[in-house]
Amino acid sequence: MQTSPPAFFKQGPKPLTRLLIFSLLSIGLIVGDAQYSMLGRIREQVSVLLYPLQWAATAPFATLRSTADFLSRQTELMAENRQLNDAQLVAKAQAMKLKALEAENATLRGLSARRDALGQPSQLAEILYNGRDPFTSRLIVDRGQQQGVGAGQIAIDASGVVGQVVRVQPLTAEVRLISDRNQMVPVVVERNQLRTVVYGMGAHQPLEVRNMAPNVDIQQGDTLVTSGIDGLYPVGLPVAKVVKVERGSSFARVVCVPVAAVDQHRFLLLLDHRSEMPAYPQAASQPASKNKKGH
Amino acid sequence: MPISHQLLRPVSIGFIVLSFVVALLVNLLPWQASIANFAPDFVALFIVYWALNQPRRVGVATAFILGVLMDVGDGNVLGQHALAYSVIAYFVLIRQRQMAVFAFWQQALIVFGLLTLAQAIMVVVRMVLGAPFVGWAYFAGSVPAALLWPPLSNLMLMHQRKSVPDEL
Repeated sequence: MQTSPPAFFKQGPKPLTRLLIFSLLSIGLIVGDAQYSMLGRIREQVSVLLYPLQWAATAPFATLRSTADFLSRQTELMAENRQLNDAQLVAKAQAMKLKALEAENATLRGLSARRDALGQPSQLAEILYNGRDPFTSRLIVDRGQQQGVGAGQIAIDASGVVGQVVRVQPLTAEVRLISDRNQMVPVVVERNQLRTVVYGMGAHQPLEVRNMAPNVDIQQGDTLVTSGIDGLYPVGLPVAKVVKVERGSSFARVVCVPVAAVDQHRFLLLLDHRSEMPAYPQAASQPASKNKKGH
Repeated sequence: MPISHQLLRPVSIGFIVLSFVVALLVNLLPWQASIANFAPDFVALFIVYWALNQPRRVGVATAFILGVLMDVGDGNVLGQHALAYSVIAYFVLIRQRQMAVFAFWQQALIVFGLLTLAQAIMVVVRMVLGAPFVGWAYFAGSVPAALLWPPLSNLMLMHQRKSVPDEL
């Protein structure tokens, strides 16, 4: 371009000049934005200018989506609701199971600790069901002759004596609870080592210490533990706690409650306690001797 | 048919502005991420188109302004689109008379080159500023843009061709 073009073709600055101007401006913008980030104001203003466009570009899609949402919501919600209900049921069942397992675990832990503390052979038995006879309180457990259970063994739980094995079948055994009528446990009062016997009074009734003088030294709150005198019960297992002492009549009436949770558990510990005792003297009367032992 | 073979009705400035607004709108559509790379840059296409057809009205300055708008709309570094658009507008302007007589498919090839150049400029700007290379898929948008050029040109020219008197 040696000669300048005629006036008709004059279009202001040449494209190259414009390019230089605007590319310098662009580079200025780039540097200002990226290096010094001082163009926030410009960006803000341009974005306000641009907002209607942005809105117009996105609004149809948003409307479409919300419409689709609205139409699909009903069925979707119903399906979701059903699903959530199912999930909740499942979760509830699981939670219940978990709770039961937790309780069972606690029981087993207690029993295990108890067994360790006792330091004598014993076996764990699961309660199968309550005895069907309403007049007695008995439990059927899942250990029997096959497992070496014998009549006379003591059943305890984590806190104390529960009962005694009274009948053994090949695979099951019957445990008579200490609350069963006339079930007797030879005990001592822990506080003063007074020997006595505690009697059951029937299912869901408290226990009782009978035939005590009105001035006997038993107080409310005393703990009765096994005395071990009969050779069946090991020494020192908690049996009952005295809740009431009535001294009105010629005999004191001592009412106790079992320490063990007699009708609560699913697992019992059957103690294998067969200590070698000297032969019982022939002179003594045979079966009713337990009553006298306490005195 | 190339532009120079016919006499065309003058274009109103409003039409140009409208086309740019529509182009911006299309560019700002929420493209899905999977196809965003293949979405043609309509603003760049229209800059090329108007710089080719109306070189006196649309040039480097228009390209610059649209570039700034795109930068803000896309949330890019301010000036990257501005620079790229300015450069391609300049290239169209210096070869405008040559390009105008080309057939549409030849123009499409040039458009492909120009749009790729614009993207290359933007990539270079971002990489100079420290961004990693975004991958070759970034340049995919030029292909649909070039393919779109002939129908788009025909469509835009329809507006100008309409009421051309037959006796001319």
